[in-house]
Amino acid sequence: MRPFITKALPAIPVILFLVALVLMGKLMGQQLSPEDILQKTDDVANAPKNQYMESTMLLIDKDGDQKERKMLIYQKGEDNRLVRFLSPADQKGISFLSLPNDVMYLYLPAFRKIRMIASHVKNESFAGTDFSYDDMSSYKFADEYTAVLTNSDDQYFNLELKPKPNVDKDYSKLEMTILKDKYIAVKINYFDKGGNLWKTLTRGNLVKKDDYWVAMTMMMKDLKKKHNTVMNIEKIDFDIEMSDTIFTKRYLKRIN
Amino acid sequence: MNRNIIQSILTGILLLAGFLFADDKLNISGYIHSENRLQTNEQEITWNENRLNLQFEGGKSNKYHFFSEVRLRGLGFPNVNQTSDLQLQEKSKVYRWGLEFREAYVDLYGFALENLDVRIGRQIVSWGTGDAFNPTSNISPDDLEDIYNFGERLGINAFNGTYYLNDNITLNGVFIPLFTPATLPIGDFSRAFSPQIELPPGLSIGNLSDEILLPKPSISESSQYAIKIMTTLLSYDMSLSYFKGRDDFPLISKVELTPVDLIGTMDISTVLQYPEIEVIGGDFAGSIASVGIWGEGALTIPKKLPMTTIYPSFINPGQLDTMQTVALENESYFKYVLGGDYTFKNGMYLNTQFIHGFFHERGKDALNDYFSFRLEKNFFNGELKVIPISGALAVNNWDDAKNNYGLVYAPEMIYYFSDNVELSIGAFILDGKGDNLFSSIMDKDEVYVKIKVSF
Repeated sequence: MRPFITKALPAIPVILFLVALVLMGKLMGQQLSPEDILQKTDDVANAPKNQYMESTMLLIDKDGDQKERKMLIYQKGEDNRLVRFLSPADQKGISFLSLPNDVMYLYLPAFRKIRMIASHVKNESFAGTDFSYDDMSSYKFADEYTAVLTNSDDQYFNLELKPKPNVDKDYSKLEMTILKDKYIAVKINYFDKGGNLWKTLTRGNLVKKDDYWVAMTMMMKDLKKKHNTVMNIEKIDFDIEMSDTIFTKRYLKRIN
Repeated sequence: MNRNIIQSILTGILLLAGFLFADDKLNISGYIHSENRLQTNEQEITWNENRLNLQFEGGKSNKYHFFSEVRLRGLGFPNVNQTSDLQLQEKSKVYRWGLEFREAYVDLYGFALENLDVRIGRQIVSWGTGDAFNPTSNISPDDLEDIYNFGERLGINAFNGTYYLNDNITLNGVFIPLFTPATLPIGDFSRAFSPQIELPPGLSIGNLSDEILLPKPSISESSQYAIKIMTTLLSYDMSLSYFKGRDDFPLISKVELTPVDLIGTMDISTVLQYPEIEVIGGDFAGSIASVGIWGEGALTIPKKLPMTTIYPSFINPGQLDTMQTVALENESYFKYVLGGDYTFKNGMYLNTQFIHGFFHERGKDALNDYFSFRLEKNFFNGELKVIPISGALAVNNWDDAKNNYGLVYAPEMIYYFSDNVELSIGAFILDGKGDNLFSSIMDKDEVYVKIKVSF
């Protein structure tokens, strides 16, 4: 009978190789810089060439009273987004167009005019919700924030983001929790200029649609106002035929 | 209007719309608006309006779209003078009804050319970047019935084509076959907008009558057109425009004085016409840093309008003499507006404009300066909007501004009771000195309450 060590000898290279693979994997995971993680999260969010969404927003105040907004959202690439309100009646037809380089337009049917929006409204509430115009415009954290990795466990990366110099934000920092296996930000804490926790965004009900993971529910909590906005995606389509003309002023004023 | 006719029209519209557009996603929406104003000095109700606004809309998104808006409303007060007024079947003397056919048009997208959109029918065309005051917007006439709600316009029958030359240049052309005049304010502001007649010392005005001459409904006399080119340059939206048509406010072109007694009383009859004008305009909108800015200017070139005055002859008593002068010189004048808005970090929103030349002002020496301003803030997650500072300041002589100004201060509070339901209370507080739009009615302060329900 050969000693155990002799029998085990041929397997050692294999084991070492496997251990090396695991270590390399771990090492490679750790080698992703916080900026890379953030960029990858942006890339995942912006991976579809385009998307069409029908969603409902519930605005819930501290007494639990609810208001409902229904809207259509078209998005193409990172920077082109059109939001059109379907209800309530007094907001029906109001449409918002976000284009590259922070160019934003608002169409108010009652005034029959398209108005360019100056950047002072970027941080204002979007149609009474807890999302700001800026929150609604695009998903480009890596372009606008610096990132520091504060924690990493089996499931999540935790990043702390701060606005880059010359980027005007109402937030002093963000804490972002990212699912490691999907690179989806499932929670973002927004801090005001004084460093106080202001808003919290949570994303849930993750569903794989076509080749993309999508959070079908988002909740933005404004802790100062004690007010929540829950956004439920009722329909979403990716990579459909979507003309560039949708993201124009010509299309913006088309009600239907 | 006869009540039965109104009912028939409305029923007809609803049924027709339902049948015609059953397959075209017909949407019916609108609002109910009720408003009452009280003049505080005399405790008199000055405005009593109840309005049902209906909008019909539909179409196939990439081919065509139709829209119509009708407004049924009661405005004013009972007009009962005798018993029989109370016995009218249509109750028109008790309730004062009105039906306003504001818009009814069809949009045809990609009409004949892929990049051409056409709108045909009665429509409100609103040009310019100014906030409610738009000197370049001369296509749809001003609806100044309620002067405090200025910026409202009337629908006109028009062919309106927009051609998208490329991603950044858009051409817009509008042809209006038939001239439509502006409506003038009712109530206290009516005298500020009515042409004033002044007689030499020693003479007084007896009866006043006027006649308005509308242009003949022919293409050469009544039609108007306008063109505009729009682009975005250096992150600024801008446009250049040209309008050829008529001023939508009438101007006296003939005065006839008839003596009625020996102490100098004269009956006056006037004829008013709508002067022909050309308007070259331009506007821009953008931002400096995070402050929104806009500007709009219009150079109006009027066609000379002669003035005929017929008066009792001083040389040949009992006969009339005629004098020919000029009602409107063909001297151009420039109206403009410059404005900006900003939202402060605490959510307070400020909107202010400098306006040179109001709607009804004509001629370079007659244009006054105005500032409009509005400061507002939302509370309770937007359920309450408070507008503590809002209004307009008029200055008609900068050399002696403290004796030549007019101010309308219009604070307001809007309570959004629920989605689609808003309740407003506010006031119009007037002050001024000298001869200007607001000072002439400075003792007519008003408070109001409004409710609007959208559906």
